[in-house]
Amino acid sequence: MKTQKQKLLFLFAFLSFLLSVAQVKITGKVTYRNKGVGEINVTLKGTYDGATTDAGGKFSFETTEKGNQTLTFTHPKYNDIEKSIVIDNQDISVDAELKEQINEIDAVVISAGSIEASDKKRATALLTPIDVYTTAGADGQISSALTYLPGVQKVGESEGLFIRGGTGTESKIFMDGSLINNYFSSSVPGIAGRDRFNTSLFKGNVFSSGGYSALYGQALSGALMLESVDLPDQSSYDFGISPIFLSGGFQKLSEDKNHSYGATLGYSLLSLMQKVLNFNTDFINAPEGLNGDANFRIKTKSGGFFKYYGMYDTNKMGVRAASLEPGSDYALVRINGKNTYHNLSFKQKFGKYLLNTGASYSYNRSDLNFSGETNDIESAKTQLLTTGNYINFKAVLERKINKISAVRGGFELNNTDEKLNFEDVKKHYQDFISSVFAETDLGFSNQLSAKIGVRAENSSFLNKSNIAPRLALAYRLAQNWTTSFAYGLFYQNPESKYINGPASLDFQKSQHYILQLQRTSEGRSLRLEAFYKKYDQLIKVKNIANIDSQNQPVQTAINNDGYGYAKGLELFWRDKKTFENIDYWISYSFLDSKRDFMNYPVSLKPNFASEHTLSVVGKRFIPEWKLGVNLSYTYSKGRPYYDIASKDVNGNVVNFTRNEGRLKDYNALNLSFNYLPNLGKKDSKVFTVFVLSVSNVLGTKNVYGYNFSQDGSRSSAVVPPVNTFVFVGAFISFGVDKTQDAINNNL
Amino acid sequence: MKKYLLSFALAFMSLTAFAQADYEKIMSEKIAKIETCKTVEDFQTLANDFQRIGSKESGKWLPSYYAAFSYIQKGRVMMREGKTQDLDEVANQADKHLATAQNLAGADNAEIHLLKKMAYSLRMMVNPQQRYMTDGMKAAEELQIAEKLDPTNPRIALIKAEDIYFTPEQYGGSKTKGIEMFKKAADQYNSYKPKSSMDPNWGKGEAEYFISQPAK
Repeated sequence: MKTQKQKLLFLFAFLSFLLSVAQVKITGKVTYRNKGVGEINVTLKGTYDGATTDAGGKFSFETTEKGNQTLTFTHPKYNDIEKSIVIDNQDISVDAELKEQINEIDAVVISAGSIEASDKKRATALLTPIDVYTTAGADGQISSALTYLPGVQKVGESEGLFIRGGTGTESKIFMDGSLINNYFSSSVPGIAGRDRFNTSLFKGNVFSSGGYSALYGQALSGALMLESVDLPDQSSYDFGISPIFLSGGFQKLSEDKNHSYGATLGYSLLSLMQKVLNFNTDFINAPEGLNGDANFRIKTKSGGFFKYYGMYDTNKMGVRAASLEPGSDYALVRINGKNTYHNLSFKQKFGKYLLNTGASYSYNRSDLNFSGETNDIESAKTQLLTTGNYINFKAVLERKINKISAVRGGFELNNTDEKLNFEDVKKHYQDFISSVFAETDLGFSNQLSAKIGVRAENSSFLNKSNIAPRLALAYRLAQNWTTSFAYGLFYQNPESKYINGPASLDFQKSQHYILQLQRTSEGRSLRLEAFYKKYDQLIKVKNIANIDSQNQPVQTAINNDGYGYAKGLELFWRDKKTFENIDYWISYSFLDSKRDFMNYPVSLKPNFASEHTLSVVGKRFIPEWKLGVNLSYTYSKGRPYYDIASKDVNGNVVNFTRNEGRLKDYNALNLSFNYLPNLGKKDSKVFTVFVLSVSNVLGTKNVYGYNFSQDGSRSSAVVPPVNTFVFVGAFISFGVDKTQDAINNNL
Repeated sequence: MKKYLLSFALAFMSLTAFAQADYEKIMSEKIAKIETCKTVEDFQTLANDFQRIGSKESGKWLPSYYAAFSYIQKGRVMMREGKTQDLDEVANQADKHLATAQNLAGADNAEIHLLKKMAYSLRMMVNPQQRYMTDGMKAAEELQIAEKLDPTNPRIALIKAEDIYFTPEQYGGSKTKGIEMFKKAADQYNSYKPKSSMDPNWGKGEAEYFISQPAK
């Protein structure tokens, strides 16, 4: 009995000895492309045993498990690997070669020609609302802030984005996919219209200075795709006050956070500042505007999302300028503009499909009155009244193929109905452009991706169709270095403004080639872009009438014989890292362009294209003072100007350059301050921002161009309405007081 | 026969007890490691360890909770080293494990809500100016929920104290005020009894560390 017990004891001892020595060591190395990878989770499946690889990819652990087992290797950036092993009494070595997991975060992004500003793409994020508001000299306008990016020309006398040697009308602006007609307020010749849309309405944007997606069309140069905000984070009331405007608004978010609505109302009048500052422009009616907008957002139970935004605005101004024509002392022009825009969009996911639809309607009325003034007596007014109704509808269906690939396709319908009254002329212009498009994003690996698209359009006015292929590629050269290439064909109808007589016209056409090299690292980004753009079928115009006492003749398109090119190099550097609390960027653009279009007698450097543009933007936030100090500087080489007249040569009307020259270089240094007194105060219900901005601090007298009299003997400079402008304002917002809710909930 | 049955039952019990003990043993071992981890790699290794335990013990919320906590600590180390650009990725991982933990533990777990708060705070640090209104607000919301669920939880007091401590005075924070709050948190730690030896019990050392710091 005793011996048996001893035997048993011995057996136990032996068994436990066996158990203790039965620890088997498993070692190995995990590699990706022959390089060791750290942080890989190595697990003996179904046990606690495992290890994490070190920086060299090596791991080692011990286990008491036996027999057929599975070893797993996991890491969020790589595909999981499983390896079957048999554990005996010997140590084992298991190596694994990882396969890269293709995912959105690491996939190379095609960025040739485009700058995306959303919170996700932080490295190059630009022109988020805060960026716009803190760019000195941008006046809180998206379009102005864009002129501090490479590729956008500084053209002060006219609204629109002048991209890479393109005119202001060669770029289009979209909101949630729908075209915005008349994005800028109506204005008089020589004074740029302003953005009608509030910057804080948009949460992000994609700005393309060329080679943009097949989803968009009718822009020869570039496109700005604005993305409106979703549901607000909370209900709020906002007020803005300054000597030039008053505004108020609210956003109400429902309790269940499934819908929201809001509205704003604003009024602006420049007359007070006119008394303080020294204006170049003699306003007979100071610019005055009234605007209101309303919005709602609804999340449906099935996951759909409706967004509506509607606005109405009116603006007025009158300008008196010394007349260049004999018989009158002054030339007067008054504008009275009315505009309304409504945009409804809807998106929803259906399994693998994502549907995005949007419809917009806009109405624009611009009432221009021209007159002369002699010895304080105003002559009879000549009216140029334009009204337009625009309807845009777009539907895009997208299907994801794998994590980074997708196909999308859809159609777009665009109806334009414009009426123009000018003396005896009554014009009615109608055009219906229907487009279909398809595009595919192909992610071959995290290193290589492509976008191939095609767009076809038909214009009822031109009675013609076009097909435009687009292509873009991106390749990652190294961890932080990427290169991308874009090519595309772009078509645009002739501007209706120049359709004043019978002519057989066609689409205008451009071809883009863009090559980009980009380096992005933590807080810094460097972009180098080279482009070549070829124009064909641009319209040529002839003068058909002169407006009394004015120097802007009425022109009509006669054919599509125009052509041209633009080529250039651009550099962009942004650095948020080197200096604490300082964010600065530098952009430089070199542009070489020539075109023979409109009334140009020969191929000329366009009068809106400057060869060298340099801008520097700096923003420093001083937390201790709750103060933001922003600085910007722009230099652009003097643009050419022309005085083009026509003469009769053997019965043919021939254009010729009567006067020409080069403007002096443009320079402006702008400064702005934002003071946020309530910043960081716990439980603060009020958020206030005080703004002081001074544009063109040094008072440089810039010239935008020259106007010539009808006979060419006299000229006058086109200058900004004011050399140095000072803006002061306060923006106050109140988050809805939650004290009441807190009390109710705790009772 | 009875004897055999008994011993069989005993053996079976001891076996399950052994397995249970194994889980507790390894968890205690890893939980103890939290205090000694310093680097990004340390916390990643720890997160992997908890992940491994979690995949075996798929019915238990604590491994996922600790995996998330390890990721958050990793993120906080990265934040101190100025690597804020990659915090989204870390917060994503933390959130993934927090979702698992919440599925198992229920939505009224203050400890999980507190970690959610910390994950949102990490996200906010990627772009504070822009994300203050979104992630910052969500962080505050989660903290509020946690506080409502468990007002005496010292970890909630600790994180609140930290927020005040690191907020510059002009923004309503202060080191002195922060230290006062750390003291309050330390008091709460003294009277706080975790539900089990494995339930969250971290942060006391941190409170003491801050209390020992000079106010200025």
